[in-house]
Amino acid sequence: MRLLMVEDEHDIQAFLLRALSDAGYGVDVAPDGKTAETLAANNKYDILIVDLGLPDQDGITLITHLRQTGVNAPVLILSARRSVDDRVRGLEQGGDDYLTKPFALAELLARLRNLLKRNAPPASELTRVRVQDLELDLLRREASRSGQPLQLTPQEFVLLEYLCRNAGRVVTRSMILHKVWGMRIQPDTNVVDVHIYRLRGKVDGNGQTPLIRTLRGVGYVLQDR
Amino acid sequence: MSSRTGKPPVRSAAWRISLWATLAFMCGTIIVFIFLDRFVANDIQRRSDAWLSGEVEVLGDVAERTPNDALYNRVVGEVAELASREVPNKGATPESENDSVFFIQTDKQGALKLWVGTGDGPAHLEAIKAHALAGSGPVSIRVRGFGTPFRVASDSMGDGGRVYLGLSERDQRRVLLNMRVRFFALWLSLVLLGFAIVFFTSRRTLSHVRNITDAASHIGESDLKTRVPISSRNDEISQLGYTLNRMLDRIENSVHQLHTITDSLAHDLRSPLTAIRGKLETSLALRDPDHAESIVSAIEELDRLTDFLNKSLDVAEAKADALRLNPSTIDLDALLRSIIDLYEPSMNERGIRIRLHSATPVYIVADEGLIHRMVANLFDNELKHLPSGCSVDIYLQERDGEARLTLSDNGPGFDPEVREQLFTKAVKGRRSNGHGLGLAFVDAVVRAHAGKVNADNMDAGGASITLSLPLAASESQRMHTTHAG
Repeated sequence: MRLLMVEDEHDIQAFLLRALSDAGYGVDVAPDGKTAETLAANNKYDILIVDLGLPDQDGITLITHLRQTGVNAPVLILSARRSVDDRVRGLEQGGDDYLTKPFALAELLARLRNLLKRNAPPASELTRVRVQDLELDLLRREASRSGQPLQLTPQEFVLLEYLCRNAGRVVTRSMILHKVWGMRIQPDTNVVDVHIYRLRGKVDGNGQTPLIRTLRGVGYVLQDR
Repeated sequence: MSSRTGKPPVRSAAWRISLWATLAFMCGTIIVFIFLDRFVANDIQRRSDAWLSGEVEVLGDVAERTPNDALYNRVVGEVAELASREVPNKGATPESENDSVFFIQTDKQGALKLWVGTGDGPAHLEAIKAHALAGSGPVSIRVRGFGTPFRVASDSMGDGGRVYLGLSERDQRRVLLNMRVRFFALWLSLVLLGFAIVFFTSRRTLSHVRNITDAASHIGESDLKTRVPISSRNDEISQLGYTLNRMLDRIENSVHQLHTITDSLAHDLRSPLTAIRGKLETSLALRDPDHAESIVSAIEELDRLTDFLNKSLDVAEAKADALRLNPSTIDLDALLRSIIDLYEPSMNERGIRIRLHSATPVYIVADEGLIHRMVANLFDNELKHLPSGCSVDIYLQERDGEARLTLSDNGPGFDPEVREQLFTKAVKGRRSNGHGLGLAFVDAVVRAHAGKVNADNMDAGGASITLSLPLAASESQRMHTTHAG
């Protein structure tokens, strides 16, 4: 996967480069819009990360310009601005995504994966998800572990489904809030943790191997091996 | 918005203006008419008096010259009869001609000699004598049996007798009455027409003012780009529009400045925060167990700092009425249910019960993200401050065109020391461990949506917070507004 990162802050460039390389992306870095245009003209990228505040031009202008020159790869917009611009909203509707700074790396990676998946040919809709000995029937909304049915509330099922679909990858609290409850909020209480504890009590109870792991300061991961 | 539909015309300024203008017009015209009426009445009187004086002289002359024979009465009577046909202001009814004029001739002793007219001659003479008629001009005399008085002129004859000619004032009065009735009808229609004209012109003029008011009330906390409509005429009202628009230009400019400042502040703080967080996360990935704990708590502190920064800037912008909104129609009932769903396990964990009292969807137009964060803030507050065993009751209802959301608990209530300044920035009670922006943020968001917040301790104990937000206009109202705009 080739990725073009357009970001002028050196410190952010450095850690993103490392994290993205670790995640398996081949990353080119452009510190300004001009370089980005040259790089995009000469290479084919699968995905772009564009910061809105570039030294030579506005990020949105760059994206619009790249689109006009035939660059169709999805874009993840990074923004340190206060509010989400209408034009960003427009791009979001056009299949791109945005993330406000500061962000958790896990969330950045998850959003990149989502963008790539969105642009890939649609896979046939899953009706069952299986992670190790945990099984979810998405049509009947039923879950079982080692053949034993789990008594889950509808909300717990949605949460577990989200964890299963991201099995093996870190999901942050704000990702859970956004995807499971549809809210972009930052509660200063442990509301998400309590949901996870309850779910864990049902999924990992009875002395089975723990599946749901907490990564403190980062989020949660459902172990897939 | 409701000013257009809800207000009866009786309460409008146009109504008052037309009422006072009409009143002034009525008084003026009445005074003019009283003068006119006096003038006309005097003129009619003068003309009939002139006729009476002339005629009585002629009749006296005739009575004197006619030979005093058997035909005397007939001749004088006929002359008097003839004279009565030339009565001024005579009414249209022919049968009345007989009783509107009388002629009396007396002899030297004042006894009745000749009587021409309707009714009782001696009665008339008696009435005249009772009046002690002087020689000069005609006077008004009231005779028993007649509704209207007579105007009587007299003349003396050579033989010491007198002639009297009386003319009923009835016809004169009828002319005046006619005039008054016509005037009244004309006056009434003029007054009504004047009222209508004043009412409609002032209403039309004031409707421009109302359009400006309507437009200006919509240019509120979030929408500063719109301007009030300006009528094509260069009058006082379009001047008002220009002035308002210039003022809006200045406000928009200051708000824009504020946005630029908060944006660059946010940018300058968030970029290093992003870099620090990224570096910490990268180090965490190294799985160095010695430092993991401190890195994790550093990341958590950093997230709190970010949240504080966001809320501070939101509160700062909201205090300046400059919060940027992306409004959409949202159902508060559904929103509350999903937030309760999120918070209920944590509440139960701490032994707090939560109940929602809401039966129907309640739609408001608001920025969904901000409302989510605001309600989450209220719940966080309850979660942090309520002791175990308490309960929170949430009431949602529509009242007076507002969505009213009340959170009441049976906990210890607000600290008396901070109660007065609950919504000011960074106030917190001694036992609180938050950064104290919670309720200031709630207030800021509600105000940005043209709503109100009330918070107090209840008499029965416990705290209660009530938010009122304007309801979303129903479909028909929205169409009405669009037409009006």
